[in-house]
Amino acid sequence: MGAATSSLHSTDRALAGLPPGLVWQASRLAQQRGPVLGTGFAELDAELPGGGWPTGALIELLADQPGVGELSLLLPLLRRTPQERWMAWIAPPFLPYAPALAATGVPLGRLLLIEPQHPDQILWATRQAVSSGSCAAVLAWPRRIDAAALRRLQLAAEDSATPLFLFRPRAAATQASPAALRIALAAEGDRLRVEILKRRGPPAALPLCLPVRPWQPQASASGSESPAAPGSRAGPPALAIVG
Amino acid sequence: MLWLALILPELPLQVFSRAATVEDALAITEAQPRPQIIAANPLALAAGVRPGQRVASARAIAPGLRLQARVPALEAEALAEIAAWAGTYTPRISLAPPDAVLLEISTSLRLFGGAGVIEATVRSGLARLGFQALTAFAPTPLAARWFARSATPPGPAAAWLDRLDTLPLAVLADGTDVRGDTLELLHGIGLATLGEVRRLPAAGLARRQAQAVLAASARARGEHPDPKAWFVAPPQFEREITLPAPTSHTEPLLFAARRLFASLSGWLQGQHAAVDRCRLSLLHEHASDTVLEIVTGRPSRDEARLVMLAREHLAALSLPAEVAGLRLSADNPASLAPRPDDLFGDPARAGESAMLLLDRLRARLGNGTVRQFEPHADHRPESAWHMTGAEGARRARSAPADRVQAHTTRPLWLLRAPRRLDPHAFSLLGEAERIESGWWDERDIRRDYYLARGPDDALWWVFRELDPPGHWYVHGYFG
Repeated sequence: MGAATSSLHSTDRALAGLPPGLVWQASRLAQQRGPVLGTGFAELDAELPGGGWPTGALIELLADQPGVGELSLLLPLLRRTPQERWMAWIAPPFLPYAPALAATGVPLGRLLLIEPQHPDQILWATRQAVSSGSCAAVLAWPRRIDAAALRRLQLAAEDSATPLFLFRPRAAATQASPAALRIALAAEGDRLRVEILKRRGPPAALPLCLPVRPWQPQASASGSESPAAPGSRAGPPALAIVG
Repeated sequence: MLWLALILPELPLQVFSRAATVEDALAITEAQPRPQIIAANPLALAAGVRPGQRVASARAIAPGLRLQARVPALEAEALAEIAAWAGTYTPRISLAPPDAVLLEISTSLRLFGGAGVIEATVRSGLARLGFQALTAFAPTPLAARWFARSATPPGPAAAWLDRLDTLPLAVLADGTDVRGDTLELLHGIGLATLGEVRRLPAAGLARRQAQAVLAASARARGEHPDPKAWFVAPPQFEREITLPAPTSHTEPLLFAARRLFASLSGWLQGQHAAVDRCRLSLLHEHASDTVLEIVTGRPSRDEARLVMLAREHLAALSLPAEVAGLRLSADNPASLAPRPDDLFGDPARAGESAMLLLDRLRARLGNGTVRQFEPHADHRPESAWHMTGAEGARRARSAPADRVQAHTTRPLWLLRAPRRLDPHAFSLLGEAERIESGWWDERDIRRDYYLARGPDDALWWVFRELDPPGHWYVHGYFG
């Protein structure tokens, strides 16, 4: 028994000593081909193959509601948009609010807001933005998309090494997708609950909770004492008057 | 001096066939001295039509043959177009009507990597314009022309005089004032090559009115000067191309447009210029022209880019009638310094492709759908940003961070119009922020803004109207 255990240990050691990529072990994350971009969140980096957003890949972010922190998750990446490259926002459901983005340090001069009229044009514009290779990141909110279109986008992203973030409803998780990474997002208290549905490697065990809005705790600290419904609030609130 | 001669023996045919994607049997006819075929395309040749044939017999051989009368004006224009395009390779260009263009390339050899390379690129470039040429180079213009005309295989450069001597007598008629009867006379006394003519006694030739032969030979060998008038490219570009048959399909139109853009690109390179806009007119037979304004965003002379933009325009276009021809005009070229070749990659390259994406999106989706924005100093959320059109996107700026109020929390998403809320659908967090502003411009607001937690823990930016009836609204999401 003891001999068996020690031989098992030596096998482990031998496996660990192998150069990465030579033998794939099911318990390990896959090696990311190509460079990755750090997400800005150490916990998330640890869970992603290669330690960050893959550069040439389709990444699906699935969320049912706006306001869970879906943009805040990408802010560290967007902040690093280099000069002479765009970050393309294609058909976002609401207006990206310029003062807030600027305050977080996103270079607005590089932000391109593209609002095509038809669902097909959204896909066309997305593919153009991805395959042009001139975007540091492409964020798209397709209204409808089928498997063939997803596949085309994935190939375009691979070819041009551009990360493409597709925002889709949570229900899309039931459909198959060629995306390299699929992440479901939800709010959990003050934090963003990140559930990795698909990645290159073993399935992720537990969802992560990321503090994506560093300013929020102090804002909610006073609120959490009495999270009252506004209708029941008695008397005028304490005011911070602006303007 | 090194001259590259381009001879286009099929020019009367190619001015018509260059815009055709699908070939049908086509022959060019001339009325003088008698109605006859002077050129025929491969399909017509395969049917048995031959140059020199009478029109009636050609019709009898190939009933489906399309006949087209020769248009010398088109040929002259095509020759000028080729000359203007060849400005890419050398500034010293000379026209030799009816079917030749001569380029003096001695000063361009080093840039392009040798005469052979220039010859090959000129040939492939001409093919993009829709022309096929016989080419040859020699130290004198006349010799280059003769070598090209007789399709002599290139030999060692040093032995060009020997090769000149082996040329057949018929070349003497090309580019000289040697008359036909003189050539017949020389044939009659049993001569076949230029070398044999040169060995005849000069005095005897002169006595038989063959002085012109000697003069031509001396010019070809470089013994007599042979000055040429240099071609000056027009300061504006306007070229027209006729489609073989009216069409409303995009592909044949694009095919013909490609010829024009190749020509424009060559002309621009010769002028060291670039255009930021050009006009592609689609000529209809019975309707006014459809004009496409092609705007490139930044001055460019890149053929592929112009073609790509034209493709987007054509794809988005619905034509009122079939198109019979295309005209491309560019009237305000701006001078553009050539980009130096950088050993360590081209820093301007990334910016170039960023502009290309912008142009492409605007061409297909329309100007208003591609925008940028920047913060604007105003307390009202609705007025705290500006949309700038794609024009503004050209200036690469970043918003000055000091203007932005970093102390307040603002949502990343703003609703275009606030959405009315049921007061029990959310719970408030933190303190109110009162925004009361805008009495001066009729868009007065008086509101208390709060952070609020919506269903599923989403974070909202809500407000209550201070004026009655005091409804609650959501105005943004903390995405």
